[in-house]
Amino acid sequence: MKLEAGAPATLGAVVEAVTRLSIHSEAEILELVSAGRLRELFPFRSNRADELPRDTEAEEDLVEASPMPLSRKGQAALIESSMPPSSATRRGSAARGRRRPVSKS
Amino acid sequence: MTDMVAGDAAWWDVRLGPKHARMERPDRYWSWSVLLPMCHLVQLAKRRYCRPLVIWARADSGRFLRVGMSIFIESYPYLESSRSADSYFIWFMSAADPAALQSDFSMSHPPALGRVLLDNAIVLSQNAGAGGRIGLHAAVAGGSTLLKIYTRCGLLLLPATAVLPAGVKRQNDGRFLFADEARAETLAAMLDPSR
Repeated sequence: MKLEAGAPATLGAVVEAVTRLSIHSEAEILELVSAGRLRELFPFRSNRADELPRDTEAEEDLVEASPMPLSRKGQAALIESSMPPSSATRRGSAARGRRRPVSKS
Repeated sequence: MTDMVAGDAAWWDVRLGPKHARMERPDRYWSWSVLLPMCHLVQLAKRRYCRPLVIWARADSGRFLRVGMSIFIESYPYLESSRSADSYFIWFMSAADPAALQSDFSMSHPPALGRVLLDNAIVLSQNAGAGGRIGLHAAVAGGSTLLKIYTRCGLLLLPATAVLPAGVKRQNDGRFLFADEARAETLAAMLDPSR
C-alpha cells in the first residue's frame, strides 16, 4: 500500500489509521466509504503494480470457497493474500492466475 | 464462490469500478483494493474475522466471470438485542451491473444476485453454529430503494425504536435488517434446488 502522497505506508501509519477506524462501528465505516470519505481516516491506496487477473477463468482453475468457517491457518493465509502485492509475500509464477486453496476446517 | 484475494479486488476496481462510478449506486465510491485489507485489519483490531468472497457466473464463452463481491464479519452481535447471540454481519456487498455484464463481458443472462449473496451469509452462519442469523446495515446512499430491495429479498427490517446490541456502537437509524433462524431457513430452502 502507499500513502496518498505516494510514500510507502509505514507500519506505524497503518496501525494509527486502523486504530482510528476501529473506534467507528461497521455501519459508520460503511457510510464513510459510501460517501467517498474513507481517505479521511484511512489515507492509503493500493499500488496495482502487478498484472491484473484475466477477465474470465476456467471452472477447473477456481477453487470453491469452503462453506465452513476457516481454520486459524486458513484465515491467516487469506489475510496475507488480501494484502496488496508490495506488502504481501509475492507468490511464485506458478501460482499466478490460479486460485489459492483455502484450508478446510 | 471463491475466497477474495488482492487480484480479485484489483480486477473489480479496474474493470467494473469505473462503470459503477458513473451510476447512481450506493457502492459507486467503493474501492475494493482498499476495502479488502482495511476490513481485515479493522476486524483483527476488534478481535473478529472477516470473510471476503467473490461470486462468479458463467459468461457466454462458458468461462467464469466475477459478478459479485462481499465481505462478511463472523461472530458479530445479533441485531435483536433481546437475545445475546452471534450472527454473520454483511458489511459490504456489491453486484456487477447487469447491463455492463451484457455489453462489456459477453454475459447474455446475468444472474440475479441479491438472494445469492444473502444465501452465502446464511449458509456460512448456519455452518458456523449461528443458526443462519445474519444482519446488515443498508447504506444511506441507497435510500428507500435499497431498503425495499433487501425486504423484497426476504430480510426483516429492525424497528427504528429497537435498541442495538452493545457491540454495534451506533444509533439505530432504521436501516438495519436481519434474518432470524426461521427466516434464514426459509430463505436458504428457496435456493436449495439450485445447490
